[in-house]
Amino acid sequence: MTPKNLDRRMFLRGAGTVLALPFLDAMIPAFSRAAASAAPLRMAFVYVPNGIIMEQWWPALTASGPLPAELPRITAPLAAYRNDLQLLGGLTCNGGRALGDGPGDHGRAGASYLTATHPKKAVKDIHTGISVDQIAAQQIGGATRFASLEMGCEDGVMGGNCDNGYSCAYSNSLSWRTSSSPMPPEVRPRAMFDRLFGGDFDPDPVRRARAQKYRASVLDVILSDAQRLKNSLGRADQAKLDEYLFSVRDIEQRIQKTEKEYENRGEVSMLVPAPSVPDTMTEHSRLMFDLLTMAFQTNATRVATLALALEQSTRPYREAGVPEGHHGLTHHMGDTEKIEKVARINRFHVDCFMYLLDKMKAVREGDGTLLDHSMIVYGSGISNGNEHHHHNLPVVLAGRGNGTLTPGRYVQYPKETPMANLFVAMLQRMGASADHMGDSTGELTNL
Amino acid sequence: MKCGLALLAALPVLAVSPADTYRTTVQPVLAARCYGCHNDKLRTAGLSLESAALTQAGVWEKVADQLSARRMPPAGLPAPTAAEVLAVTAWVRTLPGVTNQLPNPGRVTARRLNRTEYNNTVRDLLGIYGHPANDFPVDDAGFGFDNNGDVLTLSPMLMEKYLASAERLSRLAVFGPTLPKQPGLLASLMPKKGPDAALRPSSSGTTTPYSIRGAMYANFVFPVDAEYEIRVRVINHRDQLSINYTGPREELLASLDAARKGAPTRTKKGDSRTAFPPEKLLLTLDGKPILEDVIEGDTDYLYDRGAFVARVPVKAGEHFIRASFPALADYDDPRRNINPDFRRRMFVEFAEIAGPYNPSPEPPESYRKIFVCGHKPGQHNAECTGKVLQNFALRAYRRPLGTAEMDRLAGLVDLARRQGDSFEEGIRLAMEAVLASPGFLFRTELDPVPSAHAIDDFELASRLSYFLWSTMPDEELFRLALARKLRQPGVLEAQTRRMLADSKAQALTDNFAGQWLGIQHIERKSPDPDRFPAVDEELLEAMHQESNLFVSEMIRQDHSILDFIDAPFTWLNGPLAMHYGIPGVKGEAFRRVVLDGSQRSGILTQASVLTVSAFPTRTSVVTRGKWVLENLLGTPPPPPPPDVPSLVESSIGSDASLRTKMEQHRNNPSCMSCHVAMDPIGFGLENYDASGAWRILDGKFPIDASGTLPGGKAFDGAAGLKQVLKSNADLFSRNLTEKLMTFALGRGVESYDRSTVESIATDLAAHGYRFSRLVLDIVKSDAFQQRGADGGVKP
Repeated sequence: MTPKNLDRRMFLRGAGTVLALPFLDAMIPAFSRAAASAAPLRMAFVYVPNGIIMEQWWPALTASGPLPAELPRITAPLAAYRNDLQLLGGLTCNGGRALGDGPGDHGRAGASYLTATHPKKAVKDIHTGISVDQIAAQQIGGATRFASLEMGCEDGVMGGNCDNGYSCAYSNSLSWRTSSSPMPPEVRPRAMFDRLFGGDFDPDPVRRARAQKYRASVLDVILSDAQRLKNSLGRADQAKLDEYLFSVRDIEQRIQKTEKEYENRGEVSMLVPAPSVPDTMTEHSRLMFDLLTMAFQTNATRVATLALALEQSTRPYREAGVPEGHHGLTHHMGDTEKIEKVARINRFHVDCFMYLLDKMKAVREGDGTLLDHSMIVYGSGISNGNEHHHHNLPVVLAGRGNGTLTPGRYVQYPKETPMANLFVAMLQRMGASADHMGDSTGELTNL
Repeated sequence: MKCGLALLAALPVLAVSPADTYRTTVQPVLAARCYGCHNDKLRTAGLSLESAALTQAGVWEKVADQLSARRMPPAGLPAPTAAEVLAVTAWVRTLPGVTNQLPNPGRVTARRLNRTEYNNTVRDLLGIYGHPANDFPVDDAGFGFDNNGDVLTLSPMLMEKYLASAERLSRLAVFGPTLPKQPGLLASLMPKKGPDAALRPSSSGTTTPYSIRGAMYANFVFPVDAEYEIRVRVINHRDQLSINYTGPREELLASLDAARKGAPTRTKKGDSRTAFPPEKLLLTLDGKPILEDVIEGDTDYLYDRGAFVARVPVKAGEHFIRASFPALADYDDPRRNINPDFRRRMFVEFAEIAGPYNPSPEPPESYRKIFVCGHKPGQHNAECTGKVLQNFALRAYRRPLGTAEMDRLAGLVDLARRQGDSFEEGIRLAMEAVLASPGFLFRTELDPVPSAHAIDDFELASRLSYFLWSTMPDEELFRLALARKLRQPGVLEAQTRRMLADSKAQALTDNFAGQWLGIQHIERKSPDPDRFPAVDEELLEAMHQESNLFVSEMIRQDHSILDFIDAPFTWLNGPLAMHYGIPGVKGEAFRRVVLDGSQRSGILTQASVLTVSAFPTRTSVVTRGKWVLENLLGTPPPPPPPDVPSLVESSIGSDASLRTKMEQHRNNPSCMSCHVAMDPIGFGLENYDASGAWRILDGKFPIDASGTLPGGKAFDGAAGLKQVLKSNADLFSRNLTEKLMTFALGRGVESYDRSTVESIATDLAAHGYRFSRLVLDIVKSDAFQQRGADGGVKP
């Protein structure tokens, strides 16, 4: 038997998911019942690290205006979707700056990007803000099985001090549930698949009810164990138990939703990904984007983050013709050869991102596409990687936001406009009541 | 600590004012050792000791701290004598406003089991070997190690995985794995087809590393005791005669190079294929041959012939499978196995595992570990509940079970029975709760009294086992803890020695040394295949293996820790010895090799370290210098300034050597002060390229591996550098003490630990720097044996 035959036998039956088609590309669009009525609004953040060669990013425009059909080398592929996205200029992530804390721009960029907060310089008692996705998750996450999903294509770095006294936790996670509880991403496509669709659903309602009862009883026991244990511990230990208690209660709620969802399930097909993590980013990111699209499609969640790579990543990009590590090259000091290589990586990341746009645009939902019903931010917490700038960040905002966005434009905001203002605008569209987050000074208008 | 107290008690007798002592004994030391940088003019790091007032208690405390930790003066500058350090530190303690450092054993925050500990604990608790935690997110690390309670967080996603894992593991443990009715295909292992991912098969299956020599290897977890078939298919592309593979290496490479530029030429069909000698194929399980066969010279794809099949009895659990062509290990260059079209001449295309045939009727190991009441499956009675749960929960929680906890678990067994399920299902449900409960997932320590106190015997047993084994205590430790005998004279030392001799102490190599030396990062490294075409993933793995075997011997044979720096032995196999240019080591198996020390000896000249401290395309004297300062001497350089200029990469080796380039770069004054300490160390290692191979040229320029450290100490090459390091034995042993303490305690080493580090380092020097002495000193320290008061010293 050849391995290919084996694959075809590996289809699983999962939660609301029939896995039947042999190839990822042949995925059948979902017909989730939610989509039949008003489509829900989704929000995702796709991150790339180490800054961008900005000279090859912005359109040749001096003021706001329609996006031209010709875009510079890095953003060129986006031109194909120029009526579905906008480029936002002038936004700043002030929390990423030193502000008296010295070096460590990469650690800060990762930790401040979605939190809009200046993180504490620490390897132990870490502290930053709550990230935009988690604010949304806490307010509207109750409507879906997963309040949010955290995904990535690069495993976190082990070791305590990643960037000049900043804990690796800062650059390992974009998403922060509390100021000290990061939400590390899932990087294994197979594990993500199992998490989303691998739940064992017993079609027999009696057996299913019993399994539910068992799970509920187990949760009761461990919650009560945790509560008692917590009461007998000192301060620092109690904080650890609080994380535990929050997580268990979160799951308790999710289980009830899953049961409801079973009754309203739609059908989506996808091949079970291989257990190994692909080692090209092209292949890896495609699997993750497939899963992200599926998660949105089936209404498993409405909020997601996905880091193509982590701040200070030293990953080489041989698939883009760059054998050197990414981070080292970005400190190019004007060397044209290095600039060329960084630009190649930057362009390659955009090429990866295009796949997500393709997928989301291909999903029909009611009167539009999944992309129409989404707000996807693509960008980095650093603009000029050579000098660690945190202003005029590269920001793509894709999707129509259920008709609340006006794509097709380059919008230039006043210098130093906080990135957080964009987040506030997005949160309000998501139906989360947030007038303020991080260092925001208001809601970004003219979107 | 005791030493510090004695001093405090003795000082009033002296009846000299701090100002007098300052003039007579302190200032001369400062003037000689510190004023060079910390003077009014330079104010290095914003500090001048020339004008610091005696009332600035904070400043002087820091001075005492830096001096006694030997962090200042920086490595390379003349170090103060022990007497000089004592003169300053003792004086600082007499200053008004200096905190009286009362003995403080420190307080460890509740530690969630990290991924390694979870895997190992599940293995020992249940007899399940599947590495379930490999699917959990990466653990964050603090102070260089991933077992730090403060930074080990728990997200809802991880909790979800804990719950799913608890259910799956309890099911596996009680009912065994679900197996197909008929034996069938269990797994397909697919070796990557090239150094670049683009060449790997896109279909699924578990991919295994790329081997230029065409080998395939992987660990596989066999579900039950049974017979299994391992099927291997080989591709034989030895039909392209345009290269004379038996000729000299240079000719081979030249012809490969020519083929790269032009179209590869294929020979006429049928042209002397039989000229290829039969090549041996070897399939091993845990290193033992289970199949030997030959690949004939006159076949090519072998599709018609099908796979080679070995059928063998295998015990449940994890085993190592390897299929290879042993003769290829002894090639002088692995590229002899590459055709002009860059396909390998022979390689394992895939391996499949099928089974289980004739599975053992005995219940699995896990069943015996759980159902301890002595009945056969299906014949348990209600009295078993207490016995089974007590036994299981004690081992899972690593402490005896409370009555209320017991009642809640028994309640789950009752629930299952009431629903009409079996007794086993009830136990399984209770186990699911145990495996998801904080008592299992966290290592917590209680505070029976609010002040500092000795931890109880169970807590001590856990500290020991997670320190030395990265797993739960075994039966013997539990027995001693239960009998409260762990602290009886001699017992702790005897147990520590027993544990160090146990095979589970391999965890200390993998987890402690792997993180201390950064060698576990080799998995993430990939030297550029264009520049290092003979370095494949198999060789990178061999580098890792060399360091693991080296460190294991250090621990097992109880070497002096100074042997880390310089030791006349290592462990090599044929391919790695070839990479090093060491003759006489043949074959695929690793063996102990005695070194002459001229090019290799000690951890610093092992390819693993040299590769993790290099870039994919070239060496980095800065990274290597920093690696030595940070990991061996414990004196990390300060971070670079934000606008750090870098090198023009492409011209290295073509218009100037890396060294010349670096020297130009260093002339920038803002870079000078730190690079003057890092770079000479890195230059001393320039004879090793970015994959750790020996070289005498950098591009077309001869290597100059000489250096002068700040303070004027000159050396030449790695051998000279090692002499310098060995002359700093004190600094090295102090640093290793701190690192091992950090790992042992699961918390950072704080200023109140200073005297512990101090006394361990002194004791270590007096006992030949034996590794076991270091471990014992840590185990016997108050920091390890006690728990500080809540709200005690917090940074």
